[in-house]
Amino acid sequence: MRHLHFLTLKAKWDAPGPPLPTPQHQRQHFQPKHLQRSPGDREDRGTDSRSTSRDDRDSEDGDQPSPVIPVDPDACILPDAALCAFTVLDSVLVTLVQGPARWKMQLFEQPCPGEDPRPGGQIGEVELSTYAPPAGVPGKPADPHFLPVLCCVSPSGSRVPCDLLGGPGGFTLEDALFGLLFGADATLLQSPVVLCGLPDGQLCCVILKALVTSRSAPGDPNALVKILHHLEEPVIFIGALKTEPQAAEAAENFLPDEDVHSDCLVALGHHGRMLAIKASWDESGKLVPELREYCLPGPVLCAACGGGGRVYHSTPSDLCVVDLSRGSTPLGPEQPEEGPGGLPPMLCPASLNICSVVSLSASPRTHEGGTKLLALSAKGRLMTCSLDLDSEIPGPARMTTESAGRKIKELLSGIGDISERVSFLKKAVDQRNKALTSLNEAMNVSCALLSSGAGPRPISCTTSTTWSRLQTQDMLMATCVLENSSSFSLDQGWTLCIQVLTSSCALDLDSACSAITYTIPVDQLGPGARREVTLPLGPGENGGLDLPVTVSCTLFYSLREVVGGALAPSDSEDPFLDECPSNVLPEQEGVCLPLSRHTVDMLQCLRFPGLAPPHTRAPSPLGPTRDPVATFLETCRESGSQPAGPASLRAEFLPPSVASIKVSAELLRAALKDGHSGVPLCCATLQWLLAENAAVDIVRARALSSIQGVAPDGADVHLIVREVAMTDLCPAGPIQAVEIQVESSSLADICRAHHAVVGRMQTMVTEQAAQGSSAPDLRVQYLRQIHANHETLLREVQTLRDRLCTEDEASSCATAQRLLQVYRQLRHPSLILL
Amino acid sequence: MSRQTTSVGSSCLELWREKNDRLVRQAKVAQNSGLTLRRQQLAQDALEGLRGLLHSLQGLPAAVPVLPLELTVICNFIILRASLAQGFTEDQAQDIQRGLERVLETQEQRGPRLEQGLRELWDSALRASCLLPELLSPLHRLAGLQAALWLSADRLGDLALLLETLNDSQSGASEDLLLLLKTWSPPAEELDAPLTLQDAQGLKDVLLTAFAYRRGLQELITGNPEKALSSLHEVASGLCPRPVLVQVYTALGSCHRKMGNPQRALLYLVAALKEGSAWGPPLLEASRLYQQLGDTTAELESLELLVEALNVPYSSKAPPLLIEVELLLPPPDLASPLHCGTQSQAKHVLASRCLQTGRAEDAAEHYLDLLALLLDSSEPRFSPPPSPPGPCMPEVFLEAAVALIQAGRAQDALTLCEELLSRTSSLLPKMSRLWENARKGTKELPYCPLWVSATHLLQGQAWVQLGAQKVAISEFSRCLELLFRTTPQEKEQGAASNGEQGCKSDVALQQLRAAALISRGLEWVASGQDTKALQDFLLGVQMCPGNRDTYFHLLQTLKRLDRRDEATALWWRLEAQTKGPQEDATWSLPLYLESYLSWIRPSDRDAFLEEFRTSLPKSCDL
Repeated sequence: MRHLHFLTLKAKWDAPGPPLPTPQHQRQHFQPKHLQRSPGDREDRGTDSRSTSRDDRDSEDGDQPSPVIPVDPDACILPDAALCAFTVLDSVLVTLVQGPARWKMQLFEQPCPGEDPRPGGQIGEVELSTYAPPAGVPGKPADPHFLPVLCCVSPSGSRVPCDLLGGPGGFTLEDALFGLLFGADATLLQSPVVLCGLPDGQLCCVILKALVTSRSAPGDPNALVKILHHLEEPVIFIGALKTEPQAAEAAENFLPDEDVHSDCLVALGHHGRMLAIKASWDESGKLVPELREYCLPGPVLCAACGGGGRVYHSTPSDLCVVDLSRGSTPLGPEQPEEGPGGLPPMLCPASLNICSVVSLSASPRTHEGGTKLLALSAKGRLMTCSLDLDSEIPGPARMTTESAGRKIKELLSGIGDISERVSFLKKAVDQRNKALTSLNEAMNVSCALLSSGAGPRPISCTTSTTWSRLQTQDMLMATCVLENSSSFSLDQGWTLCIQVLTSSCALDLDSACSAITYTIPVDQLGPGARREVTLPLGPGENGGLDLPVTVSCTLFYSLREVVGGALAPSDSEDPFLDECPSNVLPEQEGVCLPLSRHTVDMLQCLRFPGLAPPHTRAPSPLGPTRDPVATFLETCRESGSQPAGPASLRAEFLPPSVASIKVSAELLRAALKDGHSGVPLCCATLQWLLAENAAVDIVRARALSSIQGVAPDGADVHLIVREVAMTDLCPAGPIQAVEIQVESSSLADICRAHHAVVGRMQTMVTEQAAQGSSAPDLRVQYLRQIHANHETLLREVQTLRDRLCTEDEASSCATAQRLLQVYRQLRHPSLILL
Repeated sequence: MSRQTTSVGSSCLELWREKNDRLVRQAKVAQNSGLTLRRQQLAQDALEGLRGLLHSLQGLPAAVPVLPLELTVICNFIILRASLAQGFTEDQAQDIQRGLERVLETQEQRGPRLEQGLRELWDSALRASCLLPELLSPLHRLAGLQAALWLSADRLGDLALLLETLNDSQSGASEDLLLLLKTWSPPAEELDAPLTLQDAQGLKDVLLTAFAYRRGLQELITGNPEKALSSLHEVASGLCPRPVLVQVYTALGSCHRKMGNPQRALLYLVAALKEGSAWGPPLLEASRLYQQLGDTTAELESLELLVEALNVPYSSKAPPLLIEVELLLPPPDLASPLHCGTQSQAKHVLASRCLQTGRAEDAAEHYLDLLALLLDSSEPRFSPPPSPPGPCMPEVFLEAAVALIQAGRAQDALTLCEELLSRTSSLLPKMSRLWENARKGTKELPYCPLWVSATHLLQGQAWVQLGAQKVAISEFSRCLELLFRTTPQEKEQGAASNGEQGCKSDVALQQLRAAALISRGLEWVASGQDTKALQDFLLGVQMCPGNRDTYFHLLQTLKRLDRRDEATALWWRLEAQTKGPQEDATWSLPLYLESYLSWIRPSDRDAFLEEFRTSLPKSCDL
């Protein structure tokens, strides 16, 4: 029979909790009958509603509010910040303080009842061994994580009343063990002994009567303090118990109070090492200590000695009981039968299925013959637990059919719980393994990409553009091809990010650059595989396409996606997996690897409807916002001879803008020498300019040197390439040059086209400069002239633009006109590249 | 704008300063408070307040206007903390170091400072204070605390260098530390400075006294009474709290006793007794002096007074919340002549001196008092037994039994021995098992402490006194049985297992065997069984050739049996041994054994030997 009563310490826990399943028992004779738990404790894992039984009377008891006892500051009797442990013996208060370098034991006289509650004078003091400061900042002693344990031991002949020693702080030892441990002096004096377990593992004793009586002469530690043992881990508990039940019962018949004398001293360390000492006689009749160390499951939070040689100890996950009594385990064949029985060679902890008990007390015997445990859980609940350790009669024999059925049901539900938990744990482990594999792969990929340097990259992304018709509108489409030529595969977690950055800022100072980012998950891209992504660049809703457009491709690896799943507690019910908080993820949520950057300019976007073969010829490239009516009108105009409409009117009355650039033929020839041999320079130049345009094949086939195209917004763009001779530049004679002229009715388009041409020239010149071509002898004076002209024009642009800001609408119109004019002058005739 | 911030800053400074002053006043109130609990709480509160204030001060960057206050707060904090804990810890060294670093922070000497030790820090800080005169006074106070810390940790080299820096002397370490301390003149405190618990001048006085006292005591313990004398005179002439003065006078008395000036020594001891309530050390010293002078009556009288004096509970007045001389003294040393032990230890000295000087009745009474003191647990006060190097508890019982027998109280002695055996019965080997093993012929011998055999020996002697010959002989036999089972290598239970102890118990075992054999032999003689007596005496000579008494008894028995040849041969051996080195005298035996041996030593030994010698010439001529 086993009862658990919970006396809730806080009002908010007063409501009875959901009924919980009864835990299983490893020992048959612990038969559960009443079990009730309330929410909020860790032991509630596996919560569900499969109730077995509940004792309502117990929960009634639990609803009683605990009385509050106020403790006012006057109750403090010994203010000392260094005080670590204390125990009371008869009329003496024994304290242990943490001195500057050593533990110090102090004795105070306790006042008689009714007097001033403060302790009287100090009557003794001795320093114990040095404590090893925790390895931290030198000179800064960290707070001791573990406190020392003190308890008082009396010999059996002592006149100190037994009930004063019966508490958790003291016990009486049988004479032989007492004498053996503490020596003849303590035995002769019948002096109580203070046992002290230190956090460094030392177990030492001080004979109380030997402690010197004044502050002026503290005792000599060498003479007074005896180290009994070193447990090598923090001592959590010191206790004593009676391990010989037969002897106790026999003695009980004659001396009723004989059995309070324990015959075995027990010390328990934090990591579960348990020391048990008994006195025994060897073959020659000599008194020898029998000392045994056991390993119990740790970490131990607290422990208590119960009746019948049992030691209860609590860990965060369980409350276990071990039996040290003689005959609890079968004796080995080598064990002699005569004489006092030895300690069992090993212990089998039996679980009581209560976890996180931080303080425990066992009352030796209830009148029914069981043991009563009083336990305080880590969350502050006080519970009593009655154990009937009726181990003589085996459990199954006493079972009724009803209880057996219930027992089986409980066992089955327990098995269900366990298997559920196992599968969950397995899942979690798999998830972590997968995440680790993925991380490893990602690491490889990143290394390969980052270490490739200037050479060909193992994972590349190339971008090209095409026009295609989407519904009623032609769209410029960018096609990005991600090619994995490395030996690793890109798996889950990798994303291809494509950022499209229009350069509206280049033309319009006021608006900010707008960027669109497309993210495409790369799902399984094995070695050698490629993936194509097509995305529209424009024109957008407003019909504009701000050229040039920059397309940047990046690979992104999301840590959160891969690792986050494995770390996050996916099942909140399970308390043992949540030790990994999600904040272990780094601030940056992933790894970013830039792949490529591609600029789309006007030359790539030009369309040449006049070049298309007649049968595939589209009626006309559609402008962005053409309505069907306009289309109809246009077709009418095309079939008729007279141009009509605003565009043709503008073409007729507004002279087209012109921009030109002159490049020395020598330079061009050097740059285009491979792949264009045998082709006239003008044609080669045009082919070079349109290399990335879809129409380049036709241009090459027809050996064109000038071409009429249509810009994305529908305006005409005329590219003319011709050879000229420049006479003014060089004193040695005229320089052969190629003039590239761009004509268009739209000023914006001419700017874009010019920009594109200049961009290519720039690249070419940089490349040629790297190869080191020599410039011809130049007429510096003339170049200076041109340069000076440009300077003046630029200054004028500046002043005009300033004026534009301040002037009213009427005059600004004139200024704008002038500005336009200057821009034209700047472009034509202008740039000369030699 | 900037004016406003300075006004805020200065008002903050005022606030902090007021808080410091309030906390210092609170600590002083605590000190004067008679109630220990209230005092403790007030002092703890003040300490916490100072800690908090220090935190807020050090949370801001160091600034010259605030630094004097900050250093003062550090000093007050350290003084209060050390006086409450009755000692310095590493924490206080850290506090001082932090203070110095703050001073240097204002000097922008940031680079090498991190590598500096405490000594170099002091150098730099004091150099910096030359530029900042307002820091000089608090820095000297902090230096006083540093000196106290180093003195209590016995780091005298560091202390000397610090004092040299403070005195601005360049002479090097050759100078005497006492001289250095004397020449240190801390600057006078300004009147409007923040309140302090203890100023630099006060610290200097305490340091001077403590250092001189430490040195004097050390010289005294190491056996240089002349050197000790000058240092101790230095202390006595300075400012010195009363309890310390008592000790100083006692130490001076000890010096003079060792230098052979008993009269002057007595004068100092009288002065010490007049001075205060701690009468223990001077009384103990007086007993030593009288023992040296051979005045047993006066010696025992002073020991009796000592017991009385130690009976008065030591009224430990709460120490003041200051750095005091006592705080800087070394921990009490058992080897120090000022260590007077506890009441029961004094009682034991008294009782054993009575026994040694042949005052058996007094000795018996004192021993019985001592045992009552030790065993009576109804007494609310615990009394410790004489701790090592004195005898262990069973030996005290045996000494008491010896005293009782010598005082003619054999019955009481028997009771005492019974009590001893019954109390330790659980520790003794199980006798039934022992006899059983003996029958089986098991080789292994059980361990039995020496004092158990000695108890049986004394029991036998008590029975002899009571005239019960048979019982006496059986007790002696039992004693011998145990003694021959005890292997000499086994060490005393509870005693330290060092070599000397082992040797001592080895010799004691031999002498104990001899004593038991002689005692039994004498009983055989008394009952007229001379052959049995002869056996025992012969065995005694074999077992313990060093004991001359055995020879004598053997010789006497041989003569009585008229075995002249054997007697003559034995006499020659005895003569040869007398001329050789006396070995046994070098070992000091337990007091009970020495007394016992003196009983069985025949009083007419020399006369008998002389008579025997005169009867020899005939054989000599042969």
